[in-house]
Amino acid sequence: MSNYTILRPDHHKDLCVDMRRSSALGDGVSQVLTYPLEFRDIQSCYPIFFIKDSETAAFMPVALLGLDTGENLFLGDDGWDAHYVPKLIERNPFLIAKPTNPGPSESSQPKLSIDLDSPRITDGHGEALFTSDGVPTQFLDGILAMMKGIHEGLEHSAQFSEALIAHGLLEPMTVDLTLAAGEPKVLEGFYTIAEETLFNLSGEALQTLNQAGFLQPIYMAIASFSRLNDLLSRTHSARQRIGAG
Amino acid sequence: MTDSINKIVIVGGGSAGWLTAAIIAAEYETESTPETLGTPLTITLIESPTISTIGVGEGTWPSMRTTLQKIGITETEFISRCDASFKQGTAFQNWQNAGDAGYVHPFTPPQGYEELDLAGHWLSHAHRPPFAEAVGAQAAVSKSFLAPKQITTPEYAFNVNYGYHLNAGKFAELLQEHCVQRLGVHHVSANVTGISSHENGDIKALETDTHNVLDGDLFIDCSGSAALLIGDHYNIPFHRVDHILFNNSAIAAQIDYQDPKDPIQSCTLSTAHKAGWIWDIGLPTRRGIGCVFSDQFMDQGQAAIELKNYIATAVSPQAGDSAVFREIRFDPGYREKFWHRNCVAVGMSSGFIEPLEASALVMVELSASMIATQLPANRSAMKRTADQFNDKFQYRWQHIIEFLKLHYVLSERKDSDYWTQNRTLASIPESLQTALENWTHRGPWHHETQRADDLFPSASYQYVLYGMGFVPQPEQRLKRRAKEQERRAVELFKENEGITRQLLAALPDNRSLIEKVALHGFPKI
Repeated sequence: MSNYTILRPDHHKDLCVDMRRSSALGDGVSQVLTYPLEFRDIQSCYPIFFIKDSETAAFMPVALLGLDTGENLFLGDDGWDAHYVPKLIERNPFLIAKPTNPGPSESSQPKLSIDLDSPRITDGHGEALFTSDGVPTQFLDGILAMMKGIHEGLEHSAQFSEALIAHGLLEPMTVDLTLAAGEPKVLEGFYTIAEETLFNLSGEALQTLNQAGFLQPIYMAIASFSRLNDLLSRTHSARQRIGAG
Repeated sequence: MTDSINKIVIVGGGSAGWLTAAIIAAEYETESTPETLGTPLTITLIESPTISTIGVGEGTWPSMRTTLQKIGITETEFISRCDASFKQGTAFQNWQNAGDAGYVHPFTPPQGYEELDLAGHWLSHAHRPPFAEAVGAQAAVSKSFLAPKQITTPEYAFNVNYGYHLNAGKFAELLQEHCVQRLGVHHVSANVTGISSHENGDIKALETDTHNVLDGDLFIDCSGSAALLIGDHYNIPFHRVDHILFNNSAIAAQIDYQDPKDPIQSCTLSTAHKAGWIWDIGLPTRRGIGCVFSDQFMDQGQAAIELKNYIATAVSPQAGDSAVFREIRFDPGYREKFWHRNCVAVGMSSGFIEPLEASALVMVELSASMIATQLPANRSAMKRTADQFNDKFQYRWQHIIEFLKLHYVLSERKDSDYWTQNRTLASIPESLQTALENWTHRGPWHHETQRADDLFPSASYQYVLYGMGFVPQPEQRLKRRAKEQERRAVELFKENEGITRQLLAALPDNRSLIEKVALHGFPKI
């Protein structure tokens, strides 16, 4: 389980984190949350789908990394096997969170937190968070900037999803795949851009979407589809390796 | 005056009137549109500012989901505005015998119902779970206060089939707002003071105390038990059925939950007593509890004691003592004709019986939707539509009455004249007697369905019969596919166990889901 705590120099001065990518360190996931502001990079490597949050039923875009639960086809023996690592993979073990019960003097601004139970936390190897004087390292400054980007990206993403729903631009999709061995594979619970509706949108609606910065990511999501082929061939290779092993 | 039917006037503004207005207005344009030819329909609803609505009918059938969707109200808005909860069927208690284990009549047909009648296979097992639990997941889901769906399930879609419990007053309010603001229905607040007729006897116009006259081509009587048009004006005889269904009175109360977080029931609870039964409907905000009885067998005071005792046990003794009761008196029965000349009765003006299977609102939906889809183009075509309507709804009333009667006939209770007299042959319609005789040889299955749009599917008969302990004689002749069918039955029972386990693990409880709907709403897709 995770145990997120707000990062404080006085408490966490000696912490180091192991930022290598591996399933032992928690990267063995078959999908990861993404957001429109990183769609340009995501679509060059992964297919983008939308799923529903199980608590709020809100739609969220995810990058698909594997076909089976826990299967990440982009984790190689030497780390991440693609030129772009999704931001919500890269952020582990950090999180940006609003304090749950801010005291009267504390701000309710989101704060950088760290998962103290993460296997990435080490007592020496990896990246240091603070210098011996308790000043954030360059690494931590980089993390902070990235986390701010993610935070803004997710807020923008929520509006993006709402706009998609308002314009009827999402539709449920069942992906029927045939794996190389002839094994059928059905992906359910996914939603994609409703292209037919998109093509019939009025100029006015398109302009509204464009001004909000939503039109480009819509086309990025459509383009990301062709990455499914790459995912299939990776699935095929992975099965062959298991078969051979 | 032209012959065509372009102006509809609805009299009465309870849930029957507004639901009828909404269903018709959702079918036709009420304003001219520049793009299309043709005439818009004018729909006016006249509602008395002084007569309050009766506000019963707090349970719906699953059909209400389609109805709401058609008239363009989102499920999220409906649930939040009408204090609605999910209804998955009816849970009967004390009907077979006082103190029995009870049974559930769920909205979902048995597993594999299309291919195999599981009842025979279920009957052949000595240690069998209750029928509804053996053949479906819904009874178990309901017993655990679980919802029929998740927050991620699109609006109006389901994991297990459902209708609603609702606050009838708030429902009428929402429908009114929707009709007036979004569907172009005209709302007139006035009392009808007179009716003027054409020479042929058709209604020409209504005279009112504020609005001069309202003329129309078709008049829909939703004036409730007053039956202003179909009864007062046209004197269409009323066909009483109190010799079959004895109940003609009710007292109703609204009871707060002891703790506002108490679980919400997934079914209407129906608990039989000496001379009738008690309904218990769980809304998110309160419980609606009422005692239905026959004044031939029980007086108001005794009924009040029955109801108090029930509330004391089901809620708390304090709730029982402080409950305020509202009295309702009704004649069980229906009009001999519902559509006469250019007037059609919908809702209580057309008939009323005890709400044992919550048939009131579904009959409004069916009536209004037949009027909407079969709306005659002109006066000359109206006679045939009226005949078809009358034929269909007469059959439906008879069907409902027989299905309700079945609940009484199967009872083994002997603790009052009410129950024993309910089983005298004179009180049982002949066609039900014949059916019961037949079922002793072979229980009902698909062949039971007489008309494609039968209100109660044959599965409903199974749930009531086997829930009440009815046992047909086993087949004596050898069947070629007996072994194969037994294997399949075992598979279906197993399948059902699996589905039940999955649903019990995945479905949220009613209250949590309703709270989530208020926060997030159901997704559209």
